[in-house]
Amino acid sequence: MTHGLIPGKVSQSNRHLAPREPVPAKAWGHVATRFNMLFGVLCVLLFFVGSAYAEVPNAVPPKGDHDGKHVEQPIDFPHDIHARDNKINCMYCHTYARRGLVAGIPPTSKCMGCHTVIATDKPRIKKLAEYWEKGESPKWKKVHDLPDFVHFNHEKHLNRFIFNNEGMEVERADEVCAFCHGEVKEMTVARKVKPLTMGFCRQCHEDNNGPSDCWKCHK
Amino acid sequence: MSTYKVKRRDFLKITGLTGASAALAACDMPTTVTLEEGEEEVVSYLMPEEYVIPGIGVWYASTCQQCDAGCGIIGRVREGRVLKLEGNPVSPINKGALCQIGQAALQVHYNPDRLKQPKLRQEGKLIDVTWDDAFAALKSSIGPDSGLDGSRIAWLTGTVSGHQRVLMDAVSEAVGGASHYAHETLNDTVVDKVNADVYGSANVQYKIADAQSILSFGADFLSTWGSPVHNSVQYGQFRDAPRGVLIQAEPKMTVTGGSADLWLPVRPGTEGTLAMTIAAELVASHGADATKLPKAMADQLGQYSLDSSEAQTGVAASLVKQAANFLATRAPSLVIAGGTAAAHEHGYEAVTAAAMLNVLLGNVGKTIIPVADFPYPALAPKKGDTAQLAAFAKKAKAGDISVALIAGTNPAYTAPDQLDMAAALSAVKVKVAFTEFLDETSSMADIVLPLHSDMESWGTHVASYQVADPMISLQQPLMEPLYAETRSLGDTLLDVLKLYNAEQYGPFADYYAYLRNVVSAVPAVAKEGASDEAYWQAGLQQGMLKVTAPKPFPAAIATAANDDASDALVKSADTMGFVLPVYEKNKDYPLSLIPAASSRLGDGRFANLPWLQEAPDAITKIVWNSWVEMHPATALYYGFKQGDFVEVASAEGSVKAQIYLHKGINKDAVAVPMGQGHTEYGRYATGRGVNPLKMLATTSDVQTGELALCATRVTVVSTGRNEELVKMGGSESQVGRKLVGTITADQLRRV
Repeated sequence: MTHGLIPGKVSQSNRHLAPREPVPAKAWGHVATRFNMLFGVLCVLLFFVGSAYAEVPNAVPPKGDHDGKHVEQPIDFPHDIHARDNKINCMYCHTYARRGLVAGIPPTSKCMGCHTVIATDKPRIKKLAEYWEKGESPKWKKVHDLPDFVHFNHEKHLNRFIFNNEGMEVERADEVCAFCHGEVKEMTVARKVKPLTMGFCRQCHEDNNGPSDCWKCHK
Repeated sequence: MSTYKVKRRDFLKITGLTGASAALAACDMPTTVTLEEGEEEVVSYLMPEEYVIPGIGVWYASTCQQCDAGCGIIGRVREGRVLKLEGNPVSPINKGALCQIGQAALQVHYNPDRLKQPKLRQEGKLIDVTWDDAFAALKSSIGPDSGLDGSRIAWLTGTVSGHQRVLMDAVSEAVGGASHYAHETLNDTVVDKVNADVYGSANVQYKIADAQSILSFGADFLSTWGSPVHNSVQYGQFRDAPRGVLIQAEPKMTVTGGSADLWLPVRPGTEGTLAMTIAAELVASHGADATKLPKAMADQLGQYSLDSSEAQTGVAASLVKQAANFLATRAPSLVIAGGTAAAHEHGYEAVTAAAMLNVLLGNVGKTIIPVADFPYPALAPKKGDTAQLAAFAKKAKAGDISVALIAGTNPAYTAPDQLDMAAALSAVKVKVAFTEFLDETSSMADIVLPLHSDMESWGTHVASYQVADPMISLQQPLMEPLYAETRSLGDTLLDVLKLYNAEQYGPFADYYAYLRNVVSAVPAVAKEGASDEAYWQAGLQQGMLKVTAPKPFPAAIATAANDDASDALVKSADTMGFVLPVYEKNKDYPLSLIPAASSRLGDGRFANLPWLQEAPDAITKIVWNSWVEMHPATALYYGFKQGDFVEVASAEGSVKAQIYLHKGINKDAVAVPMGQGHTEYGRYATGRGVNPLKMLATTSDVQTGELALCATRVTVVSTGRNEELVKMGGSESQVGRKLVGTITADQLRRV
């Protein structure tokens, strides 16, 4: 699995390495972003009026919302079935989140750990099994992206808000994940609902006494 | 100015607009700097190793293949890519250190000029083909059905060792007696011969850390000679308290010379005379026992007085006295000779004279230890030299070579024009190049087989300089191959062998399987009770395989270590008559040319690595180019200034480069660094600087027949052009401004 922070976004599935292909940018991406920022401001106002976050101790959740588009994925992965209905902890699948910079898309072997016996007759699982048989991983589209000059570390944030946070139970990890990823357990495939802009990060760092050195994130 | 006022708010608007239009202009900027959803692909691992965490590097051990010192390396691998190399801390050779050339191995691997597709010569041009087609061509040239007399096949390689050498030898045998010529421009053939004659073994260990004073004749042991990283680690201990004294005698200041306490700018070719003078001084003033020396040498000592020697060597008598004093009073001492000292018509004698200083000072067995040969001779390094290349050229020109298998050497670039490699190679009907790059030699080839880089290959290697107990260095791939149509040399050799002996080599799917099997066959004694798998895994983790303990020294060596002169010593010195040359002036070509070994570009093989091109030369700070190093007094005599373009001409050829003035060179010498002047070696090397090797005379060392690199005389002629030298470091003097205060050592003592 790769990440926007890491040079060389290439398949790791069978450790086969191909030269990197540039992806063309959207011509009007910046305009859309501006619109989204305005929208975000509206959402912030809405947030103050009506949002009711679960209370993570010793934490002020970041403020701001974003109306991300629906992203077509190779398999319509249902986060709701896994995280809401079956109450699977986010970190059970996104196992790298507490160990490294990136949360990680779960390895296909992890999916197959359950789905060799569970729901094997469902079309989505059949599609997954096809990938597995071929020895390939699905090519997911990245929903939460950061520029390469931003150094975000999942491990540090999880330590601050979950593992080193008195009164916080690890079973409620999804409430912390929701700070930046929204209520993913209510979604099928993930949608970007937080702006993840520098202002968004800075506000949260100020509210929660996070570091304010430039080089903490830009290095 | 005041008629149009820009308010602060307007200013912000304007800058804002500028920013917006810049953003518009940059619509197709890379996606990596924008926030976006659903554009990039992320692919998960299929079934990762448990210890793999994305974003966190895993270090794997391997062996550096940039030179034959065999330093252990560890490579940081993240998301399946090797990103950084460091020295392997458990390697007894480099103990965690790694030189700049080793670091730059990454740029060999990721080099944009790497060959990605095999090539075949069709109608005079190299055409891209598939690997299968190229291998079919190789098969029809040297396969069992080629009908070729095997003795008409020749290997032309660099220094090779380990199972790569085993398989090359097996191919030679399978085809019916192919010959093998190994070529290295920078080699120790002369030193090895002297060591064998004087100490009884070509393999000696220099215990730099154990010495209190070191005298080195031309051996740039911290940067280009021997096992530089190992020597540098040892040198660090040598300089620890009590601080050892380093004396360096050489015509052109090297990195080692720059570190020396006493630097003796000896005239090229008179190093032997200097050594004998120091020996005479040790006997005369410090009570050294001349009877330790072979009689032929002891008898001659009287001829070397301080004064007569000064006229010969150009080294002031007072400095010689000082050097002798250091050696005599700071025991144990160590005398090393090699590099420029060995590169003369009488290099063997000069190195022998230096070795005799070790005998005289009683260093043999203390700081210089003869050791037995590597216990597995089939794996021992086949060391290259130019004498073998000359033999190849002679045989090729006689029409006795039909197929040349070329790997790891570039004689079309490194060989002097006088050897006429172009004619020699043209006389070979089929030239097969196993290479990662198209260089001067492989571009003349008929079949070009692109190799995996060292980061992609398996291998076993035996270092040319064994620093401790014998061991086999293990090379493992640090990542998957970048290109589909390249293969490792080991795999290709196995494929050739399968054509001849399917029964023996057929069971090995690839070179890895072959090596794994070889390790299984290592006797249980060597594994010290570990299971086969545990022994292999330990080997992979450490990057080396310990083999059996060293054999005890042969009896002859033990004698040499004694105080009395051994039979071997007497024999070598007496049979050659031990005549040291007298420096002769040459009216037409008054200066000696030193083609200086480069601590960055080696003999030119690293010129295609931009990290090394842009790293400034340690002495001159020049980057990306060649230069002519000259003493300011010599330049004054001839009327040259810094930055003058001059032509350096020998009887055999000439090069043009800019003058660099430096007091760290003998007044009768000019130095031009090796490594530049490629005509075909990728975008970073081609057409840059000049190659001094081309203009060398083919003078050889009389005793060994090895090319004498520093024996060429030249004249320097102005071209009338002057430009500023491109170098780091700007000014070399403080122009009297005392930016940094200094006092002399004498003044310090008085304080």
